[in-house]
Amino acid sequence: MTGHAQQTLQGPLTGVTIVELGDGTAGPYAAKLFGDLGADVIKVEGPEGDSSRRRGPFPDGRPDPEASGLFMYLNVNKFGVMLDLDSAPGLADMHGLLARADIFITNYAGKRLTALGLDAKTLRARYPKLIVTTISPFGAEGPWADKLGDELIAFAMAGMAYSTPGMPDASDDLMKEPPLHPACFAADTIGGVVAAEATMAALLGSGKTGEGCHVELSQQAAMAAMQIRDVTSASYTGAQYQRLLNPVTIGRMPNFYLPCKDGYVTIAAPMEIHWERLKEGMGNPAWAESDLYSTEKARTANWITLRQRIMEWAVTVSGDDMHALAEKSQLPIFPFYSIRKMSDSDHSRERRTFAEVTIGGKAARMPAAPFQMRGTPWAMRRPAPHLGEHSATLLKGGVAA
Amino acid sequence: MMQQATRPLPLEGIRVVDLGQFIAVPFCTLWLAWLGAEIIVIESRRRMTSRTAPPFAEGREKEPDASGYFNQLYSSKKSVTVDMTTVEGRDIVRRIAGVCDVMVDNFSTGVLEKLGIGYEAIAAINPGIIMLSNGAFGRAGPMANSRGLHSAVNLFSGVADVTGYVDGHPRILGGVLPDPLSGTYSGFAIMAAIYHKQRTGQGQFIDVAMHEAMLSLIPEAVIDLTMNDVEPKRIGNRDRVNAPHGIFQCREEDSWLAISVTDEAGWAALCEVIGHAEWRGDARFATLEARRANIAELEMNIGQWSIGQNAHEAADLLQRAGVAAGPVLRLDELLDNDQLNARGGVVTIDHPVVGPRRQMALPWHMDSLGIEYRRAPLLGEHTREVLTGLVGISESEFARLDAAGVLS
Repeated sequence: MTGHAQQTLQGPLTGVTIVELGDGTAGPYAAKLFGDLGADVIKVEGPEGDSSRRRGPFPDGRPDPEASGLFMYLNVNKFGVMLDLDSAPGLADMHGLLARADIFITNYAGKRLTALGLDAKTLRARYPKLIVTTISPFGAEGPWADKLGDELIAFAMAGMAYSTPGMPDASDDLMKEPPLHPACFAADTIGGVVAAEATMAALLGSGKTGEGCHVELSQQAAMAAMQIRDVTSASYTGAQYQRLLNPVTIGRMPNFYLPCKDGYVTIAAPMEIHWERLKEGMGNPAWAESDLYSTEKARTANWITLRQRIMEWAVTVSGDDMHALAEKSQLPIFPFYSIRKMSDSDHSRERRTFAEVTIGGKAARMPAAPFQMRGTPWAMRRPAPHLGEHSATLLKGGVAA
Repeated sequence: MMQQATRPLPLEGIRVVDLGQFIAVPFCTLWLAWLGAEIIVIESRRRMTSRTAPPFAEGREKEPDASGYFNQLYSSKKSVTVDMTTVEGRDIVRRIAGVCDVMVDNFSTGVLEKLGIGYEAIAAINPGIIMLSNGAFGRAGPMANSRGLHSAVNLFSGVADVTGYVDGHPRILGGVLPDPLSGTYSGFAIMAAIYHKQRTGQGQFIDVAMHEAMLSLIPEAVIDLTMNDVEPKRIGNRDRVNAPHGIFQCREEDSWLAISVTDEAGWAALCEVIGHAEWRGDARFATLEARRANIAELEMNIGQWSIGQNAHEAADLLQRAGVAAGPVLRLDELLDNDQLNARGGVVTIDHPVVGPRRQMALPWHMDSLGIEYRRAPLLGEHTREVLTGLVGISESEFARLDAAGVLS
């Protein structure tokens, strides 16, 4: 019974049943993390389908709700049923699913859930053992509870936009470089990860209490919780956060993000020993011996010219050579990798960082497991469901194969 | 101090030996601690985790019990001082790990193995142990030994490829995000492994690569590249599909407003609020396709309105009309944010050295389970309790080890 060496093809959460009423990223991603680990996840979609079916990316850019790359990524390892929740039979089927579920995960708006009688209070009363996880932009209470929010708004209201570009990068110009949001679903994904962790805690807790739990998550709070380092500074010093490139934001110099010959690179050498190694790496240029840069204090005081000097050297060196220098000198130097270069790297291949999938007949790669459990390895057990693919098997009380 | 300890704690009875440093692993065990797990932090005066890192309580710089960095990341944990550079110290760590459910670390790859306390060594004496090891590039693969700060993780993960101003160069995301994000995944993975172990008796090793945690943020760009050969683009605060979707400058210095329009109703409402009802029939902006095609002009026009507004007031105006909008908050504004405070998202924890301090609480509520916020431990506060209690070392042996410097 006990042991650590053997692997099992069953996921660690085999036997757990989840009903997901999700849309977009946050709810579906939380449920996906459970499906990835072997739980039976039944995704419920309305007749119009999850909105990520309409977002793509699509094969050759041709919209097709059954061939959305984002939908595939967020919904692999799930079963799918289609229900019209505004009809009595649809709602009855929903209750049929909930009656045999351990967990219900939703990021539908609170008002919509209440109108359907699928709000947490009603479900907790009707299914005392059910874990009900609700995800909303700002949470179910407080002055912003009913406000409209999404990826961008939650990101902005959690301090993340203001802190991007982030250390050792920073804004070069407060007007031309506003607070920045990346072109991806960062706050939504993180809301989903935190919701998964919260739900998992409730699952372990319910093993103790024998009853269900309402897990109520605010995406703004989830994103804000990630800011522990900078919130600590505010808590202890009360200082206003700065986003302009200077030693107040970046710390001891050199600590720069600069162009190199074929890309971009971070170069840090905060202490004397690092500076000596960096000078050697740069070929001991005469300028580096100047009094302007002879001490840690001087390098920080003269950081603008120091940055210029190092940049003049950096633009002559390739990213690969920077990497080699970092390995040799043990300096925190690291070049930018494009997604193409990273996904083609030996490291990605050996770690199986990506999974091969077919989307609308076209081969693609998508991110595989965000962590690797050696005893219970990640597997893509099934592709994302077509709209209503498992309705026939799952809604008649059958168990999907 | 907010406590709901009358309700069962979800992780009560779970014991974790914590060899973490920096942020990623301590952040992971911080939430496990608040959920009721017993977290035994191994540190020593030679290796003081983050006790030497700023910010410190005013006038108490360099005091090991006065670091905010430590006190906020180590709330509700226990501190045991053991010098792992000694043979006896390493043996004590092995004995503690022998009676734990979980072990976590984020040393450089190979350090624990060199010390004789790697997964294989611990599993030999405690086969059911769950060990989670968190590294910049993970514990396997040709880059397993490469070191990387959060910026390197950002630059390798692909996230930088989709972060930047319009047609500009790749930029680095803020908030040292790879640390807390990989820490959150770590917490989920550990709990899933506990669930599995409760059913099968089987422990396991979990390899967390911070760059793979970050990669989970960018599926669209990865798929478009590998399926369609479409290179990622930096598009500022715009969205690939919806428009307008941006961050606009407001009246007060460096103040900004985020606006996201995702449907025609939102667009109509935006036009009304900013006094340009005529844009709804304007060929440049009337449809989503037209707004995407003329996005720079549209953004300039919205900016001309927003620059005369207070960000908070403008967000209220837009919200009342049905537009998703919000002020861009600075990190130092989060602790005072009305919404976060209204739902108990900020917790005050008292501490004998630094006094009451505020920090972000767990970002979710549970109606049938408890959360427990306790202060961070003083250096070595629990050494005697853990060694003579849990590990079963006699008082005389404890005194001998202490005198020999093993517990310093």
